[in-house]
Amino acid sequence: MHRLSAILLKEWRESLRNKMVLFGVVFLPLFFVALSVYFVVEGGRAADPIDQIVLFNASLIYFMLLPVIIPLAIAVYSIVGEKEGATLEPLLATPISDLELFLGKALASVIPALVVNWVSFGAFLGATRLFVGAFPMQALTAPWIASIFGLSPLLAFFSVLVTMLVSSRASDARAAYQFSSLAVLPGVIPLIVYSTRKTLVDLTLVGLEGAVLLVASAILLYFAIRVFSREQILTRWK
Amino acid sequence: MITARGLTRRFGDLIAVDRLDLEVRKGEVFGFLGPNGAGKTTTVRMLAALIAPTSGEASVAGQRLGAANREIRRRVGVLTETPGLYRRLSARDNLIFFAKLYRVADPAGQAERYLRLFELWDRRDAAAGSLSKGMRQKLAIARALLHEPEILFLDEPTASLDPESARTVRETIEELRSEERTIFLCTHNLDEADRLCDRVALFNQRLIVVGEPAKLREEMYGRRTVVHLVDPRPGIEDALDLPFVKGIERIDDALVVSLTDPDRENPLLVERLVELGVGVRYVNELRMSLEDLYLDLMEDDDAPA
Repeated sequence: MHRLSAILLKEWRESLRNKMVLFGVVFLPLFFVALSVYFVVEGGRAADPIDQIVLFNASLIYFMLLPVIIPLAIAVYSIVGEKEGATLEPLLATPISDLELFLGKALASVIPALVVNWVSFGAFLGATRLFVGAFPMQALTAPWIASIFGLSPLLAFFSVLVTMLVSSRASDARAAYQFSSLAVLPGVIPLIVYSTRKTLVDLTLVGLEGAVLLVASAILLYFAIRVFSREQILTRWK
Repeated sequence: MITARGLTRRFGDLIAVDRLDLEVRKGEVFGFLGPNGAGKTTTVRMLAALIAPTSGEASVAGQRLGAANREIRRRVGVLTETPGLYRRLSARDNLIFFAKLYRVADPAGQAERYLRLFELWDRRDAAAGSLSKGMRQKLAIARALLHEPEILFLDEPTASLDPESARTVRETIEELRSEERTIFLCTHNLDEADRLCDRVALFNQRLIVVGEPAKLREEMYGRRTVVHLVDPRPGIEDALDLPFVKGIERIDDALVVSLTDPDRENPLLVERLVELGVGVRYVNELRMSLEDLYLDLMEDDDAPA
């Protein structure tokens, strides 16, 4: 636990000093909150109820994208940064276990993503109340609450696992970022389907998305743990 | 302190380290010399419990490799070929982070101790990436020492350092030796190895030779005395008919004489030359360098059988 917290603190300290990561963690959520508020405002003005629903769905989709994008940005620089700076070997020479290192790297990306996402969601609700008066409850349904609070951790974890696997093979951060962005797409496709639906999102869809993510994450976890062993890192990582 | 028996590491068809037998004693500075790609780093990685050997066994700090890898990593310090510091973190934060990973009782206190020891305290809050090469290397050595390891693996500690920084690092190694720490030093700097190491091993995928530098030189080249003559006459080599002289070679105005025991035989040699009416300007011992030994042995090793 002591070593895990040391890794987490170190990762966050480094991330705060990395402009690229900071951009993804601070600017992007602000931009998404602004866009979401805009959609809600526009939805309120739409005369057709179907248009309203589409716009409300679109406003919430951003809080499903943030848990995918933020961990990706942190994890890419966290892993490729270690490779570029040749810092992995001194780290692996310590008594830290492979599992502690893996968990440290994964949680250092997942935790900020969830915190930022949920804080952004809170900011969105606050801003909506300010501009619209009250959030239209027909849009903020149980499936959406379940998606934002239940699916977000799964999405963040899926994104981190993909990024870890891609980063282990990439030699520079830009390439890792591009490949990871492509690799996480299957995880966000159902979310795009959400936003284009002309009916409200239902729990079956949320459950289906959750199940798919769970299975995909379990498979990725198996490979990520294998890739994140000392032997592999020192002899196979490029 | 370190023993290895038949330690082997393969990467597919490539044999990086082939049946290495080694013994490193407590408190000695042990030089591990070999060309690029000889398998030195792979050996260090195996002995520091970073990668597993394909076959063979080793014991490091009394712990069996493979059975107590975490304990081995707790007891050894490793300086990798590149400093490998977190460039965005300050010098102090780098050390505190590693001190925590080693579960040092007082991470901040220990970081301060080593920053002061290596004269980095004034730059403690500077990002590691902004430090000079020499400072970064000193910081990396400090990191390897934070948990007071019994054994220190140093991979090219003075490579690419300016002479002043290299001297600081060498002085640090001398100090560590006086603290009875065992130091396993991989280096290309043969002069450095000659000066610092109690014993050296020449290695190129397999162990070629191991021993004290002076003894290895003596075994390889014998001991030779160079007599610089005032008036070198032709044929003086033939006149020098002493039983203990094993060989004579003439180089310009000097005679290079192979002897068994120069301490005893040098006065007799000079006496005989004076008897022969030859003026002696001065006498010195021909010292072959570790570099000569290294190059000759590596050349032999490369030669087809």
